[in-house]
Amino acid sequence: MEIRPILSALMRSKVSMILIGLQVALTLAIVCNALFIISERLERMHRPSGMNETDTFWFVSTGFGQGFDVRGTMQADLALLRSLPGVADATTVISVPMSEGGWSTGISLQPNQNNSTAETAMYMVDAHGVSTYGAKLVAGRDFRAEEVTFNTMDDPPKAATVIVTRALAERLFPDGDALGKQVYYNNEGPTSTIVGIVERLQTPWTSADFVDNSTFVPAYLPYATSSRYLVRAEPGRRDEVMGAVEEKLLAANPSRIIGKMKTIAQVRAEGYAGDRAMAIILGAVIFALLAITALGIVGMASFWVAQRTRQIGTRRALGATRGDILRYFQTENFIITTLGLVAGGILTYGLSLWLMRSYQVPRLPWHYVPVGFLCLWALGQLAVLGPALRASRVPPAVATRTV
Amino acid sequence: MLTMSHLQKVYRTHLIETSALRDFSIHVREGEFVAVTGPSGSGKTTFLNIAGLLEEFTGGEYQLDGIDVHGLDDNARSRLRNEKIGFIFQGFNLIPDLNLFDNVDVPLRYRGYNAAERKRRIEEVLGRVGLASRMKHYPSELSGGQQQRVAIARALAGTPRLLLADEPTGNLDSLMARGVLELLEEINTQGTTIVMVTHDPELAARAHRNVHVIDGQVTDFDGEPSLRESPREAGIGERESPRAEAAPLHS
Ligand SMILES: Nc1ncnc2c1ncn2[C@@H]1O[C@H](COP(=O)(O)OP(=O)(O)O)[C@@H](O)[C@H]1O
Ligand SMILES: [Mg+2]
Repeated sequence: MEIRPILSALMRSKVSMILIGLQVALTLAIVCNALFIISERLERMHRPSGMNETDTFWFVSTGFGQGFDVRGTMQADLALLRSLPGVADATTVISVPMSEGGWSTGISLQPNQNNSTAETAMYMVDAHGVSTYGAKLVAGRDFRAEEVTFNTMDDPPKAATVIVTRALAERLFPDGDALGKQVYYNNEGPTSTIVGIVERLQTPWTSADFVDNSTFVPAYLPYATSSRYLVRAEPGRRDEVMGAVEEKLLAANPSRIIGKMKTIAQVRAEGYAGDRAMAIILGAVIFALLAITALGIVGMASFWVAQRTRQIGTRRALGATRGDILRYFQTENFIITTLGLVAGGILTYGLSLWLMRSYQVPRLPWHYVPVGFLCLWALGQLAVLGPALRASRVPPAVATRTV
Repeated sequence: MLTMSHLQKVYRTHLIETSALRDFSIHVREGEFVAVTGPSGSGKTTFLNIAGLLEEFTGGEYQLDGIDVHGLDDNARSRLRNEKIGFIFQGFNLIPDLNLFDNVDVPLRYRGYNAAERKRRIEEVLGRVGLASRMKHYPSELSGGQQQRVAIARALAGTPRLLLADEPTGNLDSLMARGVLELLEEINTQGTTIVMVTHDPELAARAHRNVHVIDGQVTDFDGEPSLRESPREAGIGERESPRAEAAPLHS
C-alpha cells in the first residue's frame, strides 16, 4: 500500500491531521476509561445482597401519646404480622442492605486492642431474623427466642451470641474455625460467641470497603417509640401483603403512624441510583464522543475529497482504478486514526492513572486499549467510507475539464 | 495507433443535448506527432478525453493500439490508460502535496512496479526533462515550464505508446512553451506517438500533421506523406481525405 506518499502528503496538511488525530486520541482515552467505570458500576450493581429482595419489604411504626408501650407493641405487631395470610416471616430490624443507613462497629479478637480486627455492620433482629432476611445459614445454628434481649439506645445490646457472614468469619479467623469463637464487639467486653455463619449479607452501605461483613445480633432495639419491621411474603404475594399490613396494624393499635412501605427491590434501586445515573451519563458521553469523532472524520474526509477533486481525476487519468481511489482515502484515514490511537493509548493510561490517584478507580485492565484500537479503527473506516466512495466516483475527465 | 471512425459524443443533461463530436474519424499512426487545432468549444478536449479513455463515446468505433475499447469496464480502461497512455494537461495537474519524485511515482505505483524499478524509472525520466536535481522539491517551488516538464516526465515514466497533451503550453509564456515543445519533439523522435491540442498555430506548424476540428468534426488536416506507405492504414487515411478537401489548409 502507498503508505509513505500518503503520509508525506498528510505531513503537508498537518493541522487537519492533528485535529482529527487528537480527537481520536481523546475519544480513545475517554471512552476506554468511561467504559471501564461503567463496567465497574454495573459489576457493583449486580453484586448479590445476600437477602431475599423479591418478596420482602420494610416500614417504620412510630407510636405517639404519653406512655406508648413500644415493647408490647413490637411483640403484638410481630405476632400479628406472622399471622397474616401470605406472610412467610417477619422480624424487627434496624436496617437492611443497600439502605445506606445503619450501625457499624469494629470487632476485636482481644480485649482493649488498639485497632479492631474487622469492621462490621450490625443487624439487630429477633429469632426470626435470619429467616426473614432470607439469609442462608451455612454453619452453626439460628438464634433461640430466649437469646433475644430488649434494649434501648441508652442500653445497647450486649450481643452474647452473634451470627456473622462467612466473609466476616474468614476475616476474623482465616483458618476457617470461627464457629464457637469469642470476639469483642466492645473493647472492654463482654465477649460475644459466634453461634452461626450465614453465606452472605451485605452491609447497608453499598460502597463500604467491608461490604460483606455483617453481624446479626439477637435484640429488640426501638428508637424511642419507633420500631422497624422487615416482612417476607410468600413468593409472589408481596404486593398483596403490603396492601393489607397498614390497615391491620392500625386496627390493632391506632395510636401510631405507619410509615411508607418500601420493597427491598426499591431499596436496591435507590441504593444504586447514583451508579445507574453515572453509567447512563458516561454511556451518553461515550455515544456523543463517538458520534462527534465519526462526524468529524466524515466532515474532514468530505472536505478533502471536494478539495482534491482535480487530483482524484488526475490520478484516474494516470491509471488509478476506482478501487485505488477508495483505498487511498481508506489508507489515509487508517494512518490518521493510527497516529491518533498511538497518542490516545498513552493518554488513556495517563487518564487512568489520574482517576486512580484522584478517585480511587481501580487500574484500567490492559485489554481495554487494544479493544479500543479495534473499535476506533472500525469507526474511522466506517466514517470515511461514504466520502471515499464519493471520491472513487469522481470521473477521470475532471482532470481535463476543471481548471 | 489510434483509430476513430464515425465517432459520436453527445452530452446529455436533463435540459439539453450537446453533440460534442459527430461523425468524427481520425487515424493516428505509430510514431506520429499530430497537432489538433480548432476553435474553442469545437470538441478538441472531448476528442482527447475519449482517445485517452477518460470519457466514453456514444457512437462509432475506436481502436487504441489494435484494441476495440468499446464496452471495456472501468478497471480495464484504467489499466489501459496506465499502460499505454501518458497525459499532459494544460494546468500541469501535479499533486501539490507530493514532491517531484512522488509525483512521477504516482502512475508507476498504479502499474505495480517494485520500488527499485520505480526509482530507476523516476530518476531516468526526471533526468530526461532536466530536473533530476530537483527531485525533493515540491511543485510550488518550480516555474510553470519546469512543472510542465515534471508532468511530461510523469507521463513518460511508464513508457506509454501514446502521449496525449491538451494545450500543454496554454499556461506558459512563449519561451517556456518553445522549451516544452522541443522536449515533446525529442520524445517523439525517440518513438512515442503524440497527439497535442494547441491554440498556437506556430507550435501546430511544427507537428507532422495538423488536424483541424470544427463543430465536432475533423474538417481539415494537412498531408501525412511520410507515413502514407502503410497499406493497412491508408484506407482510413483516405476516408479523412475528402473532408480535408472541403476546407483549405489553415489560412
Ligand atoms: N460534461 C459536459 N457536459 C455537457 N457539455 C459538455 C461537457 N463537456 C463538454 N461539453 C460541450 O462539448 C463541446 C465541446 O467541448 P470541448 O471538447 O471541451 O471543446 P474544446 O476543448 O475544443 O474547447 C462544447 O460545446 C462543450 O460545451
Ligand atoms: Mg479544451
